[in-house]
Amino acid sequence: MDLSIEELERHIDELRADMRRAALSGDRALVDELREELREAQANWEEALAQVTARLPRARGRSTTTPAANRPEPTSRGVRGSLLPLREQVHHALTLLTVPAAPRLIVAVHQAFFGAVIPNSRLTSLRRDEERSFRSAPFARPYYLCPALTADRLGPSRGLLSISTWPIAERVVGPLSPRVHFLTAAVKVAEAIERTPDPRPEALRLLARFAANIPGGTDGSGPETVAEAARAELAIHEEADRITREEAAKRAGRLTDVQRLFGVRFEAVSLVEEAG
Amino acid sequence: MTNDVEERLRRIRGGGEGKRHNARTIAALTTNPGCSRRAVLDAAGVDKAKLARHIGFPSQFGQSQFALIRGNQFEAQVKADGCAELITLLRAHLNLTLPEVSYEDLNDVGGNADNRLRHLETRNKLGRRDDPGTLFDHPMLTLNVAGQDVFLEPDLIAFQVKGKFHIVEIKSFAVIDGQADGSKVAAAAIQSAVYVIALRNLLVEKGFSPDDVSHNVILVTPKDFSNQPMVTFVDVRKQLTVLRRQLSRLTRIEDLLKLVPERVSLSLDADPAEVAFDIGSIEPRYMPECLNTCELARFCRHEAQGSTYAMGRTVMEDLGGVDTVATVLDLARGTREPGPHQVEVAALLRLAWSMREESLGAAA
Repeated sequence: MDLSIEELERHIDELRADMRRAALSGDRALVDELREELREAQANWEEALAQVTARLPRARGRSTTTPAANRPEPTSRGVRGSLLPLREQVHHALTLLTVPAAPRLIVAVHQAFFGAVIPNSRLTSLRRDEERSFRSAPFARPYYLCPALTADRLGPSRGLLSISTWPIAERVVGPLSPRVHFLTAAVKVAEAIERTPDPRPEALRLLARFAANIPGGTDGSGPETVAEAARAELAIHEEADRITREEAAKRAGRLTDVQRLFGVRFEAVSLVEEAG
Repeated sequence: MTNDVEERLRRIRGGGEGKRHNARTIAALTTNPGCSRRAVLDAAGVDKAKLARHIGFPSQFGQSQFALIRGNQFEAQVKADGCAELITLLRAHLNLTLPEVSYEDLNDVGGNADNRLRHLETRNKLGRRDDPGTLFDHPMLTLNVAGQDVFLEPDLIAFQVKGKFHIVEIKSFAVIDGQADGSKVAAAAIQSAVYVIALRNLLVEKGFSPDDVSHNVILVTPKDFSNQPMVTFVDVRKQLTVLRRQLSRLTRIEDLLKLVPERVSLSLDADPAEVAFDIGSIEPRYMPECLNTCELARFCRHEAQGSTYAMGRTVMEDLGGVDTVATVLDLARGTREPGPHQVEVAALLRLAWSMREESLGAAA
C-alpha cells in the first residue's frame, strides 16, 4: 500500500465511477467486485486519516503512509483464481505475446495459459495507477505497465498496454503495427500451445480465432499451420513497420522519463493543416 | 446566412446555444421533407426533446441503453486486434491486397479527443497522396448544415489503393438468412449517405474527385444468430439525392421563416400553453412515421386528431380532398352534400358505408 491519502480519495472516486459504468452495462459480478474494492479503499483511507491525526501533535510529516507491508495492493483484489497481483498477471501475458496488446487480448491470453480471469475493465484503472505510482516515486518498481506510443506523435496509444522495460522501438505503434502485432501474437500463442503438453480449451479457442483471420490459417490443423501462415503474412509487413518504429524510437530520445513511459499528451491546439 | 435570419432563429430557440445536428438528426430530416415545423425548429437548433417535455408531450424516444452497449460491443469485436475480422472481410469483398493493412486511429490525437483537433488530423491523414492509409478508425468529418458546421463520426473509412474510399458502418442488428429489418437498413443507409456527402466535401477540398468516394457503403452486421460479422454493400445514390435536396432546403430557411409569425419564441421559460400556441403557428405535416424520428411527434399527433392525414399516407391519398374525419363520416352517411372535388370520394364512401351496414346490420 503506497498510496497517499489524496491518491486514495481519487482512487475512491474512480472506483465509484467504474461501479456506475459497470451497473449501467449490467455487469453485476463486476459491481460486486468493485464494491469490495471500494470498501477496502475506504478502510485504507480511514487508516491513513487515523495515522495523520495520530502524528499531528508530534510532527507534521508526510501524509504518505506505509502501513503493514504484507498488505496486497488494491488492484490485486477481485481477481478470481490467482493470488498474483493484477499487474504481474498482465506482465505474464504481455511477456508471452512480446508485443503491445489491448486489454481484451491480455485477458484472453491470461485465461488461456494461466487459467485466471482478469476483469477487463480493471485494466483501465491499472494504467492510471501505474502512472500515478511512477510520478510519485519514479523507477521504484522494477517495471511499469504503460501505454504503447503512437509513431507519429509519441502520444499514448488508445488501449494498448506494453512493459516499460521493452526497448522503445518495441513499444511504438505505427500504421502497420496493429497487423504486425496481431500476427506476432498468433505466432507466440501457437508456439506456447506447442510447448504445453495439455493445452486448455480456452487456448485452442484463442488459436482458432487467430487462425480464422489469417490467410491460410485454417488450411491445416494444429498450431504449426497457424504459425506458418502468420509468419508468411508477417514477412510482407515486417520491414516497413520496423523502419517506422525505429525512426520514431530515435525521436523518443528527446523525451522526459514520464513522457517516454506514458506518452506525450497533446494539449496545445497547434495542429496545422498540411497543404492538400 | 444573414444576421437577420440568425437573430430570428435565435429568438425562436429562446436564446442560448443551439443544439447541433448529428448524422441521426440529419438523416431524420429526410423522412418527412414536407414538414416546415421540423425544418424551422431544426434550423434554429431547438432542443425538441426538452420542448416536447415542456409542453406536456414527452417523447418516448431515443436510443436504448442496451442497444448502445450491444452496438459498442459488436463494433469493438470487429475492430479488435488491429481490425483483424474486418480485414478478413474486406480482403474477401473489397479485394484489399495483402499489404493493405495500415490502420490509423483517429479517436484521439495524442490522448486529446477534441473534435476540432480530430477533424484537422482526419483532413491531414485522408488528404495524403504520397502514402495513403487503408483503414481510418472513427475519423471526424464535418458538414455544413444550415450555416453551422456539424461534426460527424463514421465508424470507419476504408481506402483501397487505386480504388475508392468506402464508408464502413458497423451495426449490431442481425441479418438473418440474408434478410434484415428494412427500416433499420434504411436508417443505416441514410446515415451513411450523410457521411458520404461529408467525406466527398473534404476530399474535393483536398483536390480529389467526388467520385473517389464510393456510393456503395459497406454495412457490417452480425450474421444470423451468431456474432460473426458479415458484409453487405448498400447503394446509397437515392439517399444522396434526397439528402442534397433536404440540405439545400435548409439553407433556404429564409423562405420558410416568412411563413412564421415574427413574435414566435419557444423559450423553455415561457408558459407552456403559450409555447404550444406558438408551435401551432408553424405549419406541421404530421405522419405516423414521425413517431419514430421526431421528438415533437406526440404533440403533432395530438394536434392532428380528427384530421385524415394523421392516419398515414395511404388513407390520406384514398381520401383526397377531404381533410377531417368528421367530414368523411358525414359524406359516408350521406348527411352532407359533397363539394365539386369530393363527388368521387363521396360515392366510394357511401358504398363502403352501405356494405358495412349490410354486413354488420343491427350490430353496427
